Amino acid sequence: MAELDIANLSLSFGGLTVLEDLSLSVEPGELFALIGPNGAGKTSVFNCISGIYHPSAGSIRFRGRNILGLDPSQVARAGLARTFQHGELFGEMSVIDNLLAARHAKFRTNVLAEALFLPSVRRQELAHREAVEKIIEFTELEPVRHAPVGGLPFGIQKLAGFARALAMEPDFLMLDEPSAGLNRDEREDLARFLLRIKHELGLAMIWIEHDMQMVADLADRLHVLDYGRTISVGKPQEVLNDPEVIKAYLGLAV
Amino acid sequence: MSKPLPNASGHFRRSHADEFRLIETGFSRTMLALFIIALVSFPFLFSSFYVDLAAQVFLASIGALSLMLLTGIAGQISLGHAGLIAAGAFTAGILFKEFALPFWVTIPAAALVGAGIGVLFGLPSLRLRGLYLAVSTLALHFIVVFLGGEYETRRGFSTGILIDPPVVFGYEVYSTRAWYFTLAVAAAVTLWICINLMRSRSGRAWKSIHANETVAEAIGIGVTRYKLLAFVVSSSMTAVAGALFAYYRGFVSIEAFSLYLTIQYVAMIIIGGMGSLLGALLGAVFVTLFPYIIEALVSVLPGADRLAGSVFAFNYAAFGIVMILFLVFEPQGLVGIWRRIRDYFVLWPFRFKAMGGRK
Repeated sequence: MAELDIANLSLSFGGLTVLEDLSLSVEPGELFALIGPNGAGKTSVFNCISGIYHPSAGSIRFRGRNILGLDPSQVARAGLARTFQHGELFGEMSVIDNLLAARHAKFRTNVLAEALFLPSVRRQELAHREAVEKIIEFTELEPVRHAPVGGLPFGIQKLAGFARALAMEPDFLMLDEPSAGLNRDEREDLARFLLRIKHELGLAMIWIEHDMQMVADLADRLHVLDYGRTISVGKPQEVLNDPEVIKAYLGLAV
Repeated sequence: MSKPLPNASGHFRRSHADEFRLIETGFSRTMLALFIIALVSFPFLFSSFYVDLAAQVFLASIGALSLMLLTGIAGQISLGHAGLIAAGAFTAGILFKEFALPFWVTIPAAALVGAGIGVLFGLPSLRLRGLYLAVSTLALHFIVVFLGGEYETRRGFSTGILIDPPVVFGYEVYSTRAWYFTLAVAAAVTLWICINLMRSRSGRAWKSIHANETVAEAIGIGVTRYKLLAFVVSSSMTAVAGALFAYYRGFVSIEAFSLYLTIQYVAMIIIGGMGSLLGALLGAVFVTLFPYIIEALVSVLPGADRLAGSVFAFNYAAFGIVMILFLVFEPQGLVGIWRRIRDYFVLWPFRFKAMGGRK
């Protein structure tokens, strides 16, 4: 069974059709890339999955369970974590606090116990602090763990956003242009992290990307969107040589 | 809240549990001890005028901390603060007057009433943001004040409700010195509760919502629930401050809870420094003492006799000017100034911080 199964999804804002009859499925452990020119509707797909946008038709199932109609926090609790295009971290909070905030739903404390910082609260804080430290180690954020995220360089912020999604211990990861704005070294680090997640954690990932070289090298399968419509799906080499895809990207005459 | 690294060389945390220690270094332990000694000896060294002033500062600190939780931390603007203080004061007053209930019942009752009103105050926040939310909380302020006024006139307490001093462990809290210590303990407990909330998941959820609601929701935080919770926690703390205020004054009257009181509390958190608990305390000290300082300054001006009548006008004007100066020149408030001074001494003889790690 596919991890994520989207069938006949349509989304429109007023008269503007954003997504039209989109179907895709992501297999377990697969690195699935979603590509397309600007405005193709890639991030809108994520927002539909996350419950931020409400599609007009179609279905979204995660491991067979319908997740369409859940609100964003319920989708997150169902095991789907995402990153945001511009990082969207909580700038005033430290890296540790950003990661701990992502584990919010895993805590079992109530506000009265927290007000008194009872031993049960202390115990959970400690356990989650240790779990967060593993993610910090994985993403090599040790030197900046106490620093407020807003003051960190952009590349590190993107990495912290990536770490925050991992801190949720998700079953499925949605990455919205993780490489945008990164330099070559940072991209290579990112590629390494993606492969480690794929091989060590075995997470299925859906990945929005503009760097075609990275996509061609890393992705298992590609899905190309243009103006909300699917124009090609398949292995990287087949898709990137598809005349329709080349036309969408380069605008060749028919 | 994970704490930044301590400003001390040679001090190392050896386990994650060390991050939960409120006092980490010998230096801060010494400083805290000195501060407590100063606080305890204060009422024995100064006249009751100054002790009363300090008691007012403690009371204001409780109100400022609770508003800081709501506005500075959770990002929900409220102009209903005076209404909530009034609600707490009237709860204590009515329960005392009508049912002769003791201190130990009226204070928790005020907290419960505050929590209930907090839900009402919070409901508009689920739909409204910023200025619109501020206006809706302002409406609730007037509703509470109206109800309090109605109670006073209907029951024939048009000059206000008189309350007897509370009895704590068989000891009547009446003298200024007794109130000083009672309110100091209340303020310390409030601060401790706020620190605890900041370092556990509710505090992080509030800060996340403040930073970005959509993202907070997308990482699994129930935004609706935690917005309401911020209103409930803040309002019940505020109502307790109101009840303490009623006992402290021995008198409740609706005139005390004007919109100007709300503005003073908002000024405390802005002048103190948004988002910082220390800022709330500094702001409470500043705003409480400010009118007295202005009065003292006016009295040393040449021709002070002729100016005596306009001290109030001076006060309002100076308050407004100080607010504007802070907003323009020091948006981080008193806490920003404090951090700069601290960094100067920590770094001396160097000028710039090392990258990363420290806040």
